[in-house]
Amino acid sequence: MTTIGEVGQRTRFDVREFARTARGNHRETLQLSEYALSPLNPESVRMVRYLGRLEGATMEHLRNLLVTATHKDARVTAFLVTWAFEKFWIADALDAVLEANGMERFQDVAEGKVRKSRSESADRRGPIRRALSAIRLGVPIVAVHTTTGLIDEWITRAAYLRLAAQSKSAALASTISMILDVKKRHQDFFDDESRRRLAESPRAAALTRKTLLTASWPIGAVDRAADDRSFFEEYVFGGDAGVASASEIEARVASLPGLDDRIGSAVARKLLP
Amino acid sequence: MDQMAFDVDKYTATSVSVNWSDLDLESFRDHPLNETSLRTLRYMTDVEYHTVCYTRDLLTTPSHKEADMSAFMTMWNREEFWHGEALSTVLGIHGITVDFDEVKAGRMKLGWKDRLDPIKQSVLGKIAGNDFVAVHMAWGAANEWSAIQAYNRMADLEEDPVLAELLKRIAKQEARHVAFYTSQARDRLAGSKKAQVLARFALGNFWAPVGSSIMEREEVVHVMNHLMSGPEGRKAARKIDAAISGLPGLQGLKIVEDSLDKLGIAA
Ligand SMILES: [Fe+2]
Ligand SMILES: [Fe+2]
Repeated sequence: MTTIGEVGQRTRFDVREFARTARGNHRETLQLSEYALSPLNPESVRMVRYLGRLEGATMEHLRNLLVTATHKDARVTAFLVTWAFEKFWIADALDAVLEANGMERFQDVAEGKVRKSRSESADRRGPIRRALSAIRLGVPIVAVHTTTGLIDEWITRAAYLRLAAQSKSAALASTISMILDVKKRHQDFFDDESRRRLAESPRAAALTRKTLLTASWPIGAVDRAADDRSFFEEYVFGGDAGVASASEIEARVASLPGLDDRIGSAVARKLLP
Repeated sequence: MDQMAFDVDKYTATSVSVNWSDLDLESFRDHPLNETSLRTLRYMTDVEYHTVCYTRDLLTTPSHKEADMSAFMTMWNREEFWHGEALSTVLGIHGITVDFDEVKAGRMKLGWKDRLDPIKQSVLGKIAGNDFVAVHMAWGAANEWSAIQAYNRMADLEEDPVLAELLKRIAKQEARHVAFYTSQARDRLAGSKKAQVLARFALGNFWAPVGSSIMEREEVVHVMNHLMSGPEGRKAARKIDAAISGLPGLQGLKIVEDSLDKLGIAA
């Protein structure tokens, strides 16, 4: 059960303050006219579109969380309301970048077939199966959700940094730095909640370990096109720089309370192309 | 989509958290609301905070076709959360603290019945496919209409100008929610006889006043007695019923009046 108050010596993430200072529409700050002179290359466009799809899928993700005990935690759900709002506007900013490059918004481009893999069946479960298994799992599932949220933030952060470096576009780099700034608070919340929950509850840690052994990344990837996923893996985690970035995430996962090297490497293995 | 289709882009571009910074809420210190109203406000606060949980009823998949639905729900969740914040600020001035953790305690009490809920919904969803989305939308419309009537009734009963203004602002946002849900429900119901039958069955048999699934029965009875009893209360209830029965296939439904009778609320 959750306790109220401080996490060790640190102040707890302030959900009310986060809600009060939520960041919405970014269209004025995107330097969109820059793209007329120096348009993005096709690979960058593809990454922008894919990241837009990931950021834009919050409601489905929320649905998956809320059919479990996570919906009983009003602090977590309050956070998720603002989190979804901010991600909506991140996706909108990415859409604006696509349009400024003469492309359609990501929703308007047909998506390819999803990857068929039996090892991903857990991530592919619909609401019924999720709700059924959640009855058995109870409150520790909240730790699973915040920890996967945290790791997802690390992964998408790596993707954005890679895109900023590879695109050679000052306008995009500036938009990405704004996006990472917005996402920083999401990471802070998940970080805070995960460490506390994993440290407090051996059951939560065990359940999280089990989930991370087979989880696919980023969150929501199972709903995305197979070829886009392969492209993402190659683009973000291919080559020496990519491997280094995956190793960094591996080490971070391994050092979370109650997790270990085995879990870290299971996550990293899933990232590599 | 008909010509009355809801403009989601316009909605998302103009969605804001309800503002009360210019309202003199401190006036409640000299003119506090009465116990009956505070108890009702407490109920409303919990209901507003709880709204996000209904995202679990979403049965659409992330797709081009349903992008509008996701966009609406994102903003809708946030507006409702801020209704909760506004009302909890009023309660706070009266010395009643509604903390997130307290709302959680309320949700925890629900037990196995509530746990089964998403499953029941999903099973229905599997059977009826897209028609279930129509039911979800009609249900949402009924709840939003109820919210408007509840806030209007509360404002009339209290006769406090500051509270009335705050509730008017909240009700104005509820009206946009109504517009979305009815435009969705109307289109989807009009396109499918099966959806109409299913919606009629679901609303007719399972609908209960907003908050019934998360609050104790005695709280529901209190709020309904406060807001929906007597001739004026019934008039408000009939307005909601009239709106619901205006949807395709739902003619003649009077789910609000029926539920008031079931709760024993005097007309
Ligand atoms: Fe509301
Ligand atoms: Fe509403």
